[in-house]
Amino acid sequence: MRLVSLAGVVMLGMTLGSLSAVALTTTEVIGQQGRKFSAASLSVRKGQPVTFLNDDNVPHNVLSLSVGNEFDLGSQLPGTSTDVSFTVAGEVEVICAIHPRMKMTVNVAQ
Amino acid sequence: MKADYRRPDFIPFPKDNPFTPEKAALGKILYFDTRLSENSAQSCAGCHSPGFAWGDGLSLGIGHGMEKLARRSPSIVNVAWGETFMWDGRAPTLEAQALGPIQSAGEMNMPIGQLIARLNSISGYQPLFAASFPGQEISADTVANAIATFERTIVSDRAPFDAWIAGNEKAISKEAKRGFVTFNTKGMCSSCHEGWNFTNGGFHDIGLASADLGRGEFMPHVPKMQHAFKTPGLREIARRGPYMHDGSVATLEGVIEHYDSGGIERTSRSDLIKPLGLTAEEKTELVAFLNTLTSYPSPTSIPMLPQ
Repeated sequence: MRLVSLAGVVMLGMTLGSLSAVALTTTEVIGQQGRKFSAASLSVRKGQPVTFLNDDNVPHNVLSLSVGNEFDLGSQLPGTSTDVSFTVAGEVEVICAIHPRMKMTVNVAQ
Repeated sequence: MKADYRRPDFIPFPKDNPFTPEKAALGKILYFDTRLSENSAQSCAGCHSPGFAWGDGLSLGIGHGMEKLARRSPSIVNVAWGETFMWDGRAPTLEAQALGPIQSAGEMNMPIGQLIARLNSISGYQPLFAASFPGQEISADTVANAIATFERTIVSDRAPFDAWIAGNEKAISKEAKRGFVTFNTKGMCSSCHEGWNFTNGGFHDIGLASADLGRGEFMPHVPKMQHAFKTPGLREIARRGPYMHDGSVATLEGVIEHYDSGGIERTSRSDLIKPLGLTAEEKTELVAFLNTLTSYPSPTSIPMLPQ
């Protein structure tokens, strides 16, 4: 199940003459309960944050070795979360270094 | 809690290498055939022997030229449920794993081309491969597929623990039942040794005094993967000593002492490994529980080898 949270909504107030526009950016949340990512794949825009939430009862080590979008969250303890933004468009493979069955794909659009 | 430990009903086989009895029978012959090694002295079964719960009973494996290897020979019990293979997980499939030790200069030292030529020169193998892989020549793929198919059939027999899980309260002692509770709670063992096969296939540095980087060789920039090794299953554990990837612990009592101490504190050590403060009674109960995971196995027949 993919969790979509509005908790990370970013409100950008832009003054256009006498008008004010508000842009909303949603934050995708990926859980890790039961040694599984809560989604097998996810589509985001470049720069859109993804929250990796350890809602499991053991530490995880989420990372990607996909060129241009490499990251390593290190040991992430239960109850903690970290945001990741992807800077290069394309397919990103995300894994947990500790638990090899945990794999997912993030499709990053321009 | 007990529901998480029920045995599965079926062995999983991959879609691209499904089970056939012919393939499993051929795989068994190949597994026990010493001619798969360059010097015709070593077979898969030499280091993964049914007599030692499909390991070799040694601290470190013995390879080509009787040289000691760097790690203990892991048991192949229940490999059908494996996520990755080898202590460091470098083989993504059992088929890939099967060809690794055959070709490794330090183990069976057999170049794959030489192996195929040798198998082709043994006329008795021709009908066995033809029945298993109709229309295909003997190749690295067919050898690997046959061996992996046989290996997936190696499943731990039913143990007293299984009878208890199935509802027979007299199948294991009260002491062992208390050990099961400690295993799942204070001991935190089930954080990694989880499910019916007692592993989630995860990689951890458990704080052993070893310079071996394990998984870290393949993930050099990931701190928690340095000195990390794959969590082994615990089925048939009483017959699988000595223990750990380096065979450095002789007994199950020693294993419990290691985890109770927390081992060497370093950056790479798993956050799950820390001093536990187990009492002497809890340690005894944990060992009693672990012993219930060992079955009374039926004998394994050794195949006649083709000439």
